[in-house]
Amino acid sequence: MRPALRALHAARGRMATPDRWLAVLLALGCGWLLVVPMFSGVVLTHLIGRIFILSVFGMSYDILRGYTGVINLGHALFFGGGAYIAGIMMRHSGPTLANLALAAAITLVFSSVLAYLMGYLSFRSGGVVPCAMLTLAMAEVVRHVAEAARTYTGGADGLIFPIPELLRNRVTVYYLAFAFMVLMLLALRRFVDSPAGRVLQAIRENEQRAAFLGYDTMLYKQIALQVAGLSAGLAGVTFGVFGRFANTDLLSIDQTLNALLVTIVGGTGTLYGAIVGTAFIQTIRYYLLELRGLHPIFERWLLFFGAVYVVVVLCFPFGFIGWWKRISARWTARPTTGKGGEG
Amino acid sequence: MPPVLEVKDLSAFIGPFHVLQGVSLEVHAGETAVVLGRNGAGKTTTLRTIMGLIPVAGGRIALEGASLAGLPSHRIARLGVGYVPEDRGIFDLLTVEENLQLGMMRRDRAAIGRRDHVLDLFPDLRIAYRRLASTLSGGQRQMLAIARAFLNDSRVVLIDEPSKGLAPIVVDRVRDAILEIKEHRTIVLVEQNFALASAVGDRYFILNQGMTVDHGPMAGLLKDRELLAKHLGMAARP
Amino acid sequence: MSIFLTLFINGLAEAALLFLLAAGLTIILGMMGVLNFAHGTLFLWGGYVHVWLFALTGDFLLSLAGATAAGFLLGLCFERLFIRGFYGRPTAQILITLGLMIVFTELARLLWGPDAIVAVRPAALSGTLTFQGAIISRYRLFLILVGAAFAALLHLLMQKSRIGMVIRAGVQSAEMVQALGINIRSYFSFVFAAGAAMAALGGALYAPMVGGVWSGMGIANQILAFIVVVIGGLGSFGGSAAGSVLLGLGGAAIAWFFPPGVVVGHVLLMAAVLSFRPAGLFGLAVRR
Repeated sequence: MRPALRALHAARGRMATPDRWLAVLLALGCGWLLVVPMFSGVVLTHLIGRIFILSVFGMSYDILRGYTGVINLGHALFFGGGAYIAGIMMRHSGPTLANLALAAAITLVFSSVLAYLMGYLSFRSGGVVPCAMLTLAMAEVVRHVAEAARTYTGGADGLIFPIPELLRNRVTVYYLAFAFMVLMLLALRRFVDSPAGRVLQAIRENEQRAAFLGYDTMLYKQIALQVAGLSAGLAGVTFGVFGRFANTDLLSIDQTLNALLVTIVGGTGTLYGAIVGTAFIQTIRYYLLELRGLHPIFERWLLFFGAVYVVVVLCFPFGFIGWWKRISARWTARPTTGKGGEG
Repeated sequence: MPPVLEVKDLSAFIGPFHVLQGVSLEVHAGETAVVLGRNGAGKTTTLRTIMGLIPVAGGRIALEGASLAGLPSHRIARLGVGYVPEDRGIFDLLTVEENLQLGMMRRDRAAIGRRDHVLDLFPDLRIAYRRLASTLSGGQRQMLAIARAFLNDSRVVLIDEPSKGLAPIVVDRVRDAILEIKEHRTIVLVEQNFALASAVGDRYFILNQGMTVDHGPMAGLLKDRELLAKHLGMAARP
Repeated sequence: MSIFLTLFINGLAEAALLFLLAAGLTIILGMMGVLNFAHGTLFLWGGYVHVWLFALTGDFLLSLAGATAAGFLLGLCFERLFIRGFYGRPTAQILITLGLMIVFTELARLLWGPDAIVAVRPAALSGTLTFQGAIISRYRLFLILVGAAFAALLHLLMQKSRIGMVIRAGVQSAEMVQALGINIRSYFSFVFAAGAAMAALGGALYAPMVGGVWSGMGIANQILAFIVVVIGGLGSFGGSAAGSVLLGLGGAAIAWFFPPGVVVGHVLLMAAVLSFRPAGLFGLAVRR
């Protein structure tokens, strides 16, 4: 079911050749990530740190899209909201760790309330289409309001803010971001493997059937939205502190689509996929922006982003992890007993 | 003479569920074949698969010897398969007239003649001719659906549980309507109402868990109470 | 008193534009089950093409026609190349049309630049006239006429023509239409392209009303059209007309008394409708 997880656990017991390779690669990768800030420059450290945080945002989206089958086009509201709450707190109450903790707490409350309202309005009509439509409408309205309230939000130009002394060290922030991602991964992993997480997957497969089995699907979708919203809110706080900056783009549909894209590129319904996808997309973005000296077209990241997005949806719907799953399944099917290819 | 419609070892999935695992039935010209079975036996799925609304996973569907498997449903309809679905398939936002018009594949003199004929058969429809179909009663909707399937020179008409949700007195009218149509058409009828099924059927096919488990002439089934009790869970009343 | 007339005219003009956008959206949604997130992008392209052609030729009607034709062609391409393979898979459709929205919004920015471009009204339609002390914009009157003409035309087409009959039937059940021997897919391309053409015409008419085109106007109006569709009921043609008028007039009234509240007001209206009638005012909910 989950090859990446299997690969990790498989280190204990017997394992197939591709999974063994994967485990070795993962171990090497983790080791590299632990030491990379010590010898590499600010740029790479910053890029990887960004990947850690955006991965959490991507994973939070995967709870909805990958595990529950809900498309929420207002997901950026949690992320941008978190970044803004951190920014406004830092700016107006002073950049102390206590205030940051308070900002995180406020973000959790904000995300929870927002998730409830969003779920209440958009799950009522039933079906994925009305939900997508309503969440997009809500998201655009909030962004619009945030842009109108320029005095607080700085609009599209954004809000630059100070952060606590301790967090001004890039290397410290890097490790904190790394720890944040690992912790969130473990927490979300637990959630999707919990009984509630299983119900969500049943809803994704067939909502009606889940309802016939006696589950209150509205309630479970609300739970999924709570978990996803809280995670995205925390990712937003972290992202704000990491960049010391927040603007209304963080609330926009593009930001939501970013999360959506990375889960598809990596493989939906896997959590790990979001990390793989974020690493892939952010790296491409970084190198494309590097090329802008060659031709101004490379500044149009969104154009490439959209094109990649369309191509991925059309031609690569299972993502990297899905692709790996197939290779791995084909390999294991040969020597050992039939673990046939799925999906 | 080959059967008008022949279904052999039909297999089909709905999502991950293997709903049809070997349905066979055939109906000869002028006959009415009745498909019986409990809820969930695969009766509706069988008709929908014949109609091309569910992909064929295996087996054979042939109309007068030509395979229908894999064709889009509008082609199947054009080749001469009429369809009255379980929910009647009436368009609420269209008038009765428009519902009939939409069902008429050709507007030649024969088709107009058949339309006038069904309006004579079902005077209710003539009265409600220009009204929205949403104003019709349950029985009238069923009449409209049957009338619509009768407009074309179909080789075979598939009718899915016409008695469903209707009051007994209305079921009698539906039975008369089917008996009338039966004079002119070959019919495959899915029905849980045994009284209706036995009144119009020439042959029966019993489905269980997606497979044809028994078939034969209707008269035989009527005599064999044991068989009825076994497959349909009913004690046949004399 | 006169201010109410002015507001009424202003609101109706907005409603006319919203209707052009929402009617196509709701029919496409109802008939094909496709929510086209690139619908606002077609509106945007209509605006840009119109302004560009008008600057080039100076002929207002010609550039309106050009913008409409561009929308039709783009819609045809979208349906044939990207959407056709995904009927019956709403999630994939949402994803693909979102991608088209981003790509074509960026393309417009690339072609016409990131900044707003001024759009002028033709001489014959500029200026105002005074009626009972109310100041009325000629251009807005023109918009109302166009909107009303389109609503009447579409109504006729829907009620009297065979294609309208197939569309109305298809909104309820595309499958049953198919089972009656009608190849409904052959209607999809046309309906999608026609919806796109109306959206583009809406954009073309919108630009001179607000005095310019900019790349954000697509999504902003798309959101309004979504709200109209939700209020009117997904897939309901009459509902989209009623929803447009409601939103247009409501917006004009709020804009007069409390300008910053317009957008929030729209959403509150939608939330209120959804809370009391989840299927919309003209409750023909799409069962997908």
